[in-house]
Amino acid sequence: MRRGLMLWREQELSAADVKARQQRLEGAMKAAGLDAFLVYTNHVRSAGVTYLTGFTPYWSDALLLILPGQSPLFSTALSKRVGNWIRSVNPTAEIAHSPKPGRLIGERLASAGCKCVGVLELDRLPAGLAEEIASAADVELLDGTEVFASVRAKPDSAELGLVRRADALVLEALGTVDPASRHAGQAVAALERVAREAGAEECYIAIAPHLDRDTRPGRFGGAELGRSFAVRLSLAYNGVWVRRTRTFSRDAALQEQVQSLERAFAALAPKLDPVSPLGPQLKGLAAGADLARWFLEAPSGTLPLTEVASEDRDTGCRVPYGVLSAAFMLGGTTVLLGGPVGLDLLPNATEEAA
Amino acid sequence: MNTVETRRKRLAEAMADAGVDALVLYGNAWQNDYLRYAADFGILEGEGIAVVRRDGETTLYLDHPLEAERAFAEWPDGEIRLARDLVGEVAGIIERLGNSRVAAGPARHLPYGLVRSGKRFEDATALIDRLLMVKAKEELECVRKAAAVADEGYAVFCAAARAGRPDYALIAEIEAFFRQKGVDDNFMIIGVGGPEVRGMAPPSGKLLKTGDMVTTELTPCVGGYYAQICRTLVVGEPSDAQQRAFAVFREALEAGIAAVRAGVTAADVAKAENDVFRQYGLGNYVTSEYTRVRGHGVGLFPDTKPHILEDVTTTLEEDMSIIVHPNTYHPEVGYIVLGDTLIVREDGSECLTRTPRHLFGTSVGGEGR
Repeated sequence: MRRGLMLWREQELSAADVKARQQRLEGAMKAAGLDAFLVYTNHVRSAGVTYLTGFTPYWSDALLLILPGQSPLFSTALSKRVGNWIRSVNPTAEIAHSPKPGRLIGERLASAGCKCVGVLELDRLPAGLAEEIASAADVELLDGTEVFASVRAKPDSAELGLVRRADALVLEALGTVDPASRHAGQAVAALERVAREAGAEECYIAIAPHLDRDTRPGRFGGAELGRSFAVRLSLAYNGVWVRRTRTFSRDAALQEQVQSLERAFAALAPKLDPVSPLGPQLKGLAAGADLARWFLEAPSGTLPLTEVASEDRDTGCRVPYGVLSAAFMLGGTTVLLGGPVGLDLLPNATEEAA
Repeated sequence: MNTVETRRKRLAEAMADAGVDALVLYGNAWQNDYLRYAADFGILEGEGIAVVRRDGETTLYLDHPLEAERAFAEWPDGEIRLARDLVGEVAGIIERLGNSRVAAGPARHLPYGLVRSGKRFEDATALIDRLLMVKAKEELECVRKAAAVADEGYAVFCAAARAGRPDYALIAEIEAFFRQKGVDDNFMIIGVGGPEVRGMAPPSGKLLKTGDMVTTELTPCVGGYYAQICRTLVVGEPSDAQQRAFAVFREALEAGIAAVRAGVTAADVAKAENDVFRQYGLGNYVTSEYTRVRGHGVGLFPDTKPHILEDVTTTLEEDMSIIVHPNTYHPEVGYIVLGDTLIVREDGSECLTRTPRHLFGTSVGGEGR
């Protein structure tokens, strides 16, 4: 669930910002011959609705209906008592409450005379909602994933501002981790406190407690920390997710090498261009550090971050922003690092979109 | 036998009893309980499906690469597959099961693509719901541990609450405490203020001020199992009106708990709670306009069946774990919450929550007590 600070911040993401996104989707719908568009949300698959309205449910699920020229309809099973809260953080949508939110959407589709309805990630739509829609409307549900992705791929300045703000929180929180920590729980607790006190909407923390033994991060709050460990912080701020991974070592020489690698990554990351293959851009990042594996995530559908490229699928991609996770071999030790990439390049894409 | 082995055995027995050859259980971080019953993994991102064969062999399919990697690390004994095309891959697996009897659930949340893939499923909802509600001894031990951590967490919450602090700082304190205790997950909402507050939600940046009531429900998860505590505190000293109002909630909670035993229905418990409100002329405030449920099950999901409502006829059985909470709006002072986690027993209940049923207060500018 979302447990952290959730509020509408007009100065960071304005009603005009999200209305512009809704209008861009309406344009893409028209080009695709769609009468309406549906986006499902819960707190796991929140990103589509968050992009279009700025709203993320802390719990339960909902459907967002986009009809051309109308305010979006947000249909949810959350009770009317929660309605005031939803309105306070979702000011551009009409809010409708129903124990059968799909049926309510179906009724609205029927009354609007819709026939062809695009659905973001149709195959992942909960079957119960699809049945409810069908019970109230004779419509054809079509997969609208590509239609949405074409709109979503274009960054806007509001989103990039939020990415930078989220990343600043991540860096601040990761800065609290002491390489001399002995227990994962202590390191994680301090990190979580700092992130949430700074205004994080949610954070997920994973630790690889003994990089010498296992490089796969997990939720190992009770583990003792080895000579070298890695921490991955995934953080949401105002609906935007950023992920960073850092490696820490009690071995002073290794820690110095890790920091050198991280400085090189910090210098390169803003200039990494996701449109071009990333592998060649990452080669030779730092002397003595061999790239072992990597993958790139970006928002594209309902998941906040989806894998869009990796060492096996390195063809370049158009994304609003990217988050890289990588493993390097450094003197026989695996070092994990990662974070947002390409942020210096993406404003150009915004101008291009405009 | 650990909880995973216990669940696997119970699942196999239930499948055999029902004559089901394979189960397809979907889950995500919101609706995780069906998936978690079969696979010992707490999913956070993306979606997962567990396919359980009649011989107990279970494969967990995850669509998110980081989650698959985490599952390999956290559940080393599990059979885990990264399935970027989750629906397509699982549909293919099911197709290969041929004419076997396949049941799937939870029905409402199954991916539409799987349901329309051609294979007809039986509905596994009732089979799994029963396993989720009536727990094995090992499962109840996890609920007990979670309830103990919830008590500790509420003490941390009280200590963190003081005038001038923003509501989200309290969440930061609690989550930090839970992470330090190795608690992976927690369901938590909060309310801050007076008669204008009609319920709880995520924090909105409100600053606590003297006289505010601060409501919360903490629901930490230990070994996959949740337990909940609901309590209300007042910043400063509770007023007479707040104390009077709270007394009704305490009486309602105690009436609800007194009604709990194997053989009664969820409706009986809800009625016992609500009758207290009606007795004080507050019957309007136990309707859906002001409150959702009068309690619910807890276990692998923080808000599971049976829902404690006057129209729910589910019979309580021994070894169910539930919370009784007569949470609702009080017209004079605002929203109040109070609730304890219980295990249903043949002749009553075992109350797991140890925190006193008090309207807690904080000394002005100081810590809660």
